[in-house]
Amino acid sequence: MTKDFDYEKLGFKCGLEIHQRLSTKHKLFCKCLANYFNDIQIKRIERRQRAVAGELGKIDKATSFESKKNRVFNYQIFEKSSCLVDIDEEPPHIPNIEALRSSLSICTSFNCEIPDEIQVMRKGVVDGSDPSAFQRTMLVGYDGKIVVENKDIPISTIFLEEESSGIVKNTEEYVEYSLDRLGIPLIEIDTDPVIKTPQEAKRVSMEIGLLLRLTNTAQRGIGSIRQDVNISIKNGSRVEIKGFQELDSMDQIIDSEIERQLNLISVISELKERNAKVETAINITDIFKHTKATLIENQLKQNGVVIGAKLSGFRGIIGKNLTNDLRLGTELSDYAKSSGIKGIIHSDEDMDKYGITKKELEEINKKLELGENDAFVIIAEKKDKAVYGMELALERARMAMVGVPSETRGADSKKLNTRFLRPMSGKSRMYPETDILPIEKYQVLKEFKPEKIDVEKIKNTLKDEIKNPQLAEQMLWSKDLQLYRKIINFVDISPTIVSSILLEKTKELRRAGVDVEKINEDTYLEIFKEYANGSIVKTAIGEIMSLVPKSPDDVHNIIKQRSLSRIKGKDLEKLVKSFNIDDKTKLLKEIMSKYRMNIEGDELNYLINKKGS
Amino acid sequence: MYSDKLETLFKKNKIEIGDKIKINNKGKLLEGILMPRPELGDNNIIVIKLNNGYNIGITLDEKGTVEKLVEHTKEEFSFPKIKSVENLKNNNRISLLYTGGTIGSKIDYVTGGVYMLTKPEELLHEVPELKEIASIDVKNLMSIASEDVSYFDWQKMAEGTAEAFNSGAKGVVITHGTDTMHYTSAALSFMLKDIKGPVVLTGAQRSSDRGSSDAFMNLICASNIAANTDIRHVGICMHATHSDDYCNFIKGTKARKMHTSSRDAFKSINARILAKVYQNGKIEVLEKIDEIEKTKNKTVANTKFEPKVGLVISYPDSDPGILEYYNKKGFKGVIIEGTGLGHTPVSTSHKEYNWLSSIKDATSSGMVIGITSQCINGRVNGNVYRNGRLMQEMGAVYCEDMLPEVAYVKLGFLLGNYNKKETERLLPINIAGEITKKTDVEIDE
Repeated sequence: MTKDFDYEKLGFKCGLEIHQRLSTKHKLFCKCLANYFNDIQIKRIERRQRAVAGELGKIDKATSFESKKNRVFNYQIFEKSSCLVDIDEEPPHIPNIEALRSSLSICTSFNCEIPDEIQVMRKGVVDGSDPSAFQRTMLVGYDGKIVVENKDIPISTIFLEEESSGIVKNTEEYVEYSLDRLGIPLIEIDTDPVIKTPQEAKRVSMEIGLLLRLTNTAQRGIGSIRQDVNISIKNGSRVEIKGFQELDSMDQIIDSEIERQLNLISVISELKERNAKVETAINITDIFKHTKATLIENQLKQNGVVIGAKLSGFRGIIGKNLTNDLRLGTELSDYAKSSGIKGIIHSDEDMDKYGITKKELEEINKKLELGENDAFVIIAEKKDKAVYGMELALERARMAMVGVPSETRGADSKKLNTRFLRPMSGKSRMYPETDILPIEKYQVLKEFKPEKIDVEKIKNTLKDEIKNPQLAEQMLWSKDLQLYRKIINFVDISPTIVSSILLEKTKELRRAGVDVEKINEDTYLEIFKEYANGSIVKTAIGEIMSLVPKSPDDVHNIIKQRSLSRIKGKDLEKLVKSFNIDDKTKLLKEIMSKYRMNIEGDELNYLINKKGS
Repeated sequence: MYSDKLETLFKKNKIEIGDKIKINNKGKLLEGILMPRPELGDNNIIVIKLNNGYNIGITLDEKGTVEKLVEHTKEEFSFPKIKSVENLKNNNRISLLYTGGTIGSKIDYVTGGVYMLTKPEELLHEVPELKEIASIDVKNLMSIASEDVSYFDWQKMAEGTAEAFNSGAKGVVITHGTDTMHYTSAALSFMLKDIKGPVVLTGAQRSSDRGSSDAFMNLICASNIAANTDIRHVGICMHATHSDDYCNFIKGTKARKMHTSSRDAFKSINARILAKVYQNGKIEVLEKIDEIEKTKNKTVANTKFEPKVGLVISYPDSDPGILEYYNKKGFKGVIIEGTGLGHTPVSTSHKEYNWLSSIKDATSSGMVIGITSQCINGRVNGNVYRNGRLMQEMGAVYCEDMLPEVAYVKLGFLLGNYNKKETERLLPINIAGEITKKTDVEIDE
């Protein structure tokens, strides 16, 4: 369900960042295999990173925030899909020409200008997802556009960059990443913030995804495309929402973010009216000497402390719902957790949940000198962590009095809301990659001409080929469009049959529990070839598809073992004779009930009727 | 530098590097900061930094124009000046001698390359942990890449180290480029007498302007060795593994860079490592050093060095004429990196490849010829094969398990201090940990 907002009145502005992995053989700056995820892990290393001053001497806000966490990062190293370049122990090799060419093809299809000279840059990253503490990225296109529902959506920039490594584990002591994904070529496509509604955001995402698929350079599969959404509203702030894996709930999550910002805006005036103030935290460990509150008791056993701070005028506001299952308390807690602590306890929560007694609560109120409208936040942890966690929580509380903070947030497709990830990063994270010479455009375009994809033309071709207009439209949007094109190029077969099998048959089989994703391209080609040369009937195609995922045999053997060969011509005549039934309808029915998988109905029909005449 | 045509255009429009400019080209407008032209590539391409931080290059067409928008403002970030790091927790006082190298490298936004910091402040600024370890006196000796280091620089470093000990330092840390760090560590091992504590060379494989640099842990571990151990030895302290977990402290005469780029490039060859130092300060001393006795004498730097020494490698069809060449140039000695147990071609089917007479000519005209092995691991032995025996007969000196680079440095040191006969006597005898008595079966680290 989407909310009923007047987006224009809200001053809603939205831009998209679409990230798509390319289907190249190798990674962007080394000869490791790209998109190879069944590799053998051969080693694990441990690293630490710190914030260093960037080009302008300033340490970027987001960078130092992550670095303050002082985390240990572990990296899984693989045999064929990682090397010394990945762990920052070898300079990058020259950029992958296949990826460069693909990126320029994409730029051409999005009507972008291509710089005459492309410079590889380093973008600082200190969340550990890159062992070098930066991501290599280059601007390959600018000033382009895509037309969506007759409206020009400007494509401000297209980047070719390194994919980050995949997170495997996130514990209190360390974060573990796997390096098979790191360095795979990734395309980022940015639109101008001209999108007026969440529904339009969804639509534009779909169209960009479609055009990317049509260039035949994109990698297929889960996680290979990701959408980030930048949104802002009047009196709110620019927020970047990351990690939309599926488009279905995009509009609802954006709506929830709007609702969150609107509620945060109203919180400002509420707090002002109450003369709200954030006080300094003090040590209140004494109160919990004999506590039965498990969470606190455990921390104290490990030499932890309890610190608490008074939030004057915040009572009732911390616990108030901002949007789908998200309160100001959630925000305070998410900030605090960046320090590595497990969470906070605040006064708008049910104390019974923690096992905090009435007496303890009274003592907290007394010690922190709480009035009727005042709230508290307490943290039980080791001292350093507790102090840092509290600093962050209180910082967030202070922000609540002035506005909506500019942040990078994560999309939660289950709760349909967004959660704080880190402060919005600034500009000083960019500096040139000194190990790689600038790339001249004409060098990339030598002996290579990027093809401009014309979506309208592809649409019309599909309409001509596939006799069912609905199927033609579905085929255009299907992830199997490339497969469809391959099949009709290699096999002499009706495109309508191919599309109906790829779209409808697969759906039907999936519902019946068949793992159709396991059928690879070559197998599809085999099956359609067998059909095209008359070795099997149409009905048998689905039967074979349901058998392939479970069977170790190839298509040919499955046909043999399951007696799925087509019976036709003389053999069919013989078979008909052997049935000795006079009534034509009865005869047809009887034969078909036994040989559905072997006989093409039309042929049988023709034969029986000819026989009679 | 941009092409003359562009330079003229910029001049005409009063545009300087760093100014914000507007480019109107092929009907498209672009705004950004004019960046300097990298040395390589087409100098007709204008490089600008866009608002989003990316640099791109644009070729101006005939009708294209550039226009100045905002003048460049000089906003230089300067780090607080640090002459020393004061530590209040303990009385440890160490010296840090800065010489350059990757550990002190930064991106040069002008040339797009990496340059050496001229001030160590920036480096210390980024490693605040150092003040927990010791008080550190910082001295900037030079700022050069290690491939440019010469014996003049070894002399400066030796003198700087002696001076530091004589002013009360408990240990000395020297930051250095990695390429020739093991040559320097060997030179300091020979030149320094009566050192009072560890002399720890350290560096980095990746520059300290990146958050993942190995510089930080190397510097922390090196300072820990210098401040918290009594290992009176010159050594190299660098990453032991691919992880940021601990460093090895390797004897300065037994260390060798064994990888071009990996952070665990330095290995201990033919010897055990002296100690392991962990990121958290824990130190495991593995090898007792009793070679250098503790004395009350002042630390002395004996920096005499004969630069006319060479290091050559023998291989199939290598030309022995190289010895004649050095001889003619007045060289006093040459170390040969031989094959296997220490061989050069001597009984070849074509006599122009036979080194024997060249070795003889060299030694008889006053040169010292030392033999080491390109196997790196293991000890040379001239008695096993006839060829080796012949080389010894011609006066070549077999240098035990000494590394070729160390033998080269030692030869220069000996010839700077002694005559040919004494040099030949001392070359195969241990004086600074460069030769071990026994060859261990396996060295576990």
